[in-house]
Amino acid sequence: MSQNHNIISAAESLMQEHFELEPNLEQIIWINSDKTTEIRLLEINSETFPAGAVLSFYFAPDDDFPYATIMAEITPDEWQKVQRHEIPLPEGWTLESYKVYSREMVTV
Amino acid sequence: MTERQHWQMAFLKQARLDWEAYQRTSQAVWPTCHRLLFLQMASEKLSKAVLITGHSSLETITQSHAAFVKFMQVASKDRKLQKVLGMKKSQQKAQFKTLLPLAQEIELLAPALAQSGPNPEYPWKDASGNISAPGDYSFPLMKRLRETPQGIQLLRYTEIFLKRFEELFM
Repeated sequence: MSQNHNIISAAESLMQEHFELEPNLEQIIWINSDKTTEIRLLEINSETFPAGAVLSFYFAPDDDFPYATIMAEITPDEWQKVQRHEIPLPEGWTLESYKVYSREMVTV
Repeated sequence: MTERQHWQMAFLKQARLDWEAYQRTSQAVWPTCHRLLFLQMASEKLSKAVLITGHSSLETITQSHAAFVKFMQVASKDRKLQKVLGMKKSQQKAQFKTLLPLAQEIELLAPALAQSGPNPEYPWKDASGNISAPGDYSFPLMKRLRETPQGIQLLRYTEIFLKRFEELFM
C-alpha cells in the first residue's frame, strides 16, 4: 500500500469521525492535500465561535494515528473571507491544492 | 529547541503563574475582578501555548484574544486527551460542549473583547450611561464557576491541562 494511499485513508477516517461527532460541521477542507507527512484540516462549522482569524492547532502523531494533524475551525463566513484572501491562512498553507469534503463523502 | 518551542514554553510558564495567582487570590480576601483577571489571562495563555505549535503566525496568535474557546473546541476532539480523561469520543465531545458557554464568558472578560461591557480590568459605561469600576461589579460568572458542575469541571480541566501540559500537548 502506498504512503499516499495511507495518508488519504487516515485523513478520511479522521474526517468521518469529526463529521459523526459534529452535527453542525458543514465541510472539511483538506488543505495542501498533496503533502504526505501531515494533514492540514480547515473545518467549516456553523456553530463555532468566529475569531476573525484561522487559529490552527497541532496534534502530534502517535501509535494510533501516525500523521501530524494541524486543524482549525472557522465559520462559513470566515471560509468565504479566506477564499477572498481577507483572512490569511496559517503560514505555509495555500489554496493552490485542496480538497473539499462533505458529510456524504466520508460517512457511511 | 526551535523559536516556536521557546515561545511555547514562555506562554506556558506565564499561564502557570497566572493560574497560581488565581488560586492564591482567595475569595475571602481578594476582589472578584482580580481573581477573574488572573483566570482569563491563564486560560488565554494556556490556549496560546497550544496554538503556538500550529501554523498560525505569531502575529495572529499574539493579537487575538479569542483563543480559549477555540482551544476547548479542538480539545474536545483530541485523541490523546480522550485517553487521559478515560472517555469515549462522543462523551468527550458532549462534555466539552457543555463547558463552552462558560469558556466563552471567560474569554469575553478580555477588555478587547468585552466591547465596553463588564471586564475585570478597566471601568466601562453601560447602556444607561452609568460608569462602573470592575471592583464594584459582582461578576455572576464567578459564582457559576464555583458552584455549577460545568464551572467546577472547566476549572478542573484548566488545572489538568496546565499541570500535565507536556504530556498532553507536546
